[in-house]
Amino acid sequence: MTAPATTGAPGTAVKSLYVYGITPAGIRAPRSPGVDGARVRLLTGSGLCAAVSDAPARLLPRRRDLLAHQAVLDELAAQGPLLPMRFAVLSPRADTLLTQLRSDVDHLQRQLAEVRGCVELNVKGTVVPGHFADLVRRDDSLRTLALRTRRRPDYEANVRLGEALALGVRREARRAAREVLDRLTPLAVRAAGGTTDEQQVLSTSFLVRAEDEGRFRKAVDAGARAVGGRLALSVTGPLPCYSFVEARPAPAGR
Amino acid sequence: MITYDDEVVCAPRAGTLYDVLELILDRGMVIDVFVRVSLVGIEILKVDARIVVASVDTYLRFAEACNRLDLEHDVRSKTVPEMFGSPVAKSVGKAGAKRTARSLTDKVRDVLAPDDDSDDADDADDTDELPRGRSARGRGEERSERPRGRSSGRSRAEEDRPRDRPRRRPRREDA
Repeated sequence: MTAPATTGAPGTAVKSLYVYGITPAGIRAPRSPGVDGARVRLLTGSGLCAAVSDAPARLLPRRRDLLAHQAVLDELAAQGPLLPMRFAVLSPRADTLLTQLRSDVDHLQRQLAEVRGCVELNVKGTVVPGHFADLVRRDDSLRTLALRTRRRPDYEANVRLGEALALGVRREARRAAREVLDRLTPLAVRAAGGTTDEQQVLSTSFLVRAEDEGRFRKAVDAGARAVGGRLALSVTGPLPCYSFVEARPAPAGR
Repeated sequence: MITYDDEVVCAPRAGTLYDVLELILDRGMVIDVFVRVSLVGIEILKVDARIVVASVDTYLRFAEACNRLDLEHDVRSKTVPEMFGSPVAKSVGKAGAKRTARSLTDKVRDVLAPDDDSDDADDADDTDELPRGRSARGRGEERSERPRGRSSGRSRAEEDRPRDRPRRRPRREDA
């Protein structure tokens, strides 16, 4: 199999290392197989460990590789604080990686301290379209519009009615999302909003102390009961703290 | 993607790999001297993950569902036979027999409940807390007995199965 052009610079395909995450020194190597089934090992230096494996010749966001990345990080996170890497971060060579750890050590240790004892919980909320029926019955102007459209049905009127209903359920879902955020944010150390769209109106990660996870989940349950007719909630976690590490360490020497 | 049943989702769904894709791909640390492989396919994945729903087609489906609603009668005077024959229940049928059955069960429970609190749940925020809480708790418990309940959500790898998908993206059932 030839390496595709997407694997980057020449030479990276064979010798480079796939980097999973950085932890304090002194942890066990994860047993979960890494990306492409590779064995995961630890590189230790400057009081830190980097979990790495040989990079596959061909790296694609395949489902099993995303799951492997996640499984390795889960195993590392179970042992203590972890700075998770994004999927598909490679280091050209082991010595480059160790040099980088040495120059960034203060910054990396500070970040590790910030996520120590914490997990990430991701909460998403999607619009419940069926809420339109409640809206029509409750909102006089929508009801009037619906009855008028029924008496004189035509294409334009139906589009106008449908648009008003779509806006209505989305507005209600967004309002519900704010209520949920207000409930959950006080229970978290930090919160980080993600991208939302017209269907998924809530997507926020929370940095939660591990001992508060149960309380947080109860609050999500209560939130789901309170807003369930308008907003369908999902919660994912505990996750490695993807959203609460700085994407790039400060340049060395600053 | 859009179904128009009036199902109330009282228990949070457990997340899947799909739910954390953006975190794995867009968050987490990157180190400058490292190479981040450019991944053909990621853009496609993400486009797939965020389907745009605001379209005339969506509006027309909303309007169609609305035109089948019984708006002439007061909601509170619903009866069981009326509910079974109601246009909303029929429209649910398009999304699959299972959903219909569940939705009908919910409807029957709503109708039989002493307080018809599902229709004015939003109005009840400050004035009617007790009946609403009681009803919501009952439903939540029943739902949590289902396989997708929260208690099974801890293991992401195991949870990452397609059965969770239709809940949020019901249209895929039609595909």
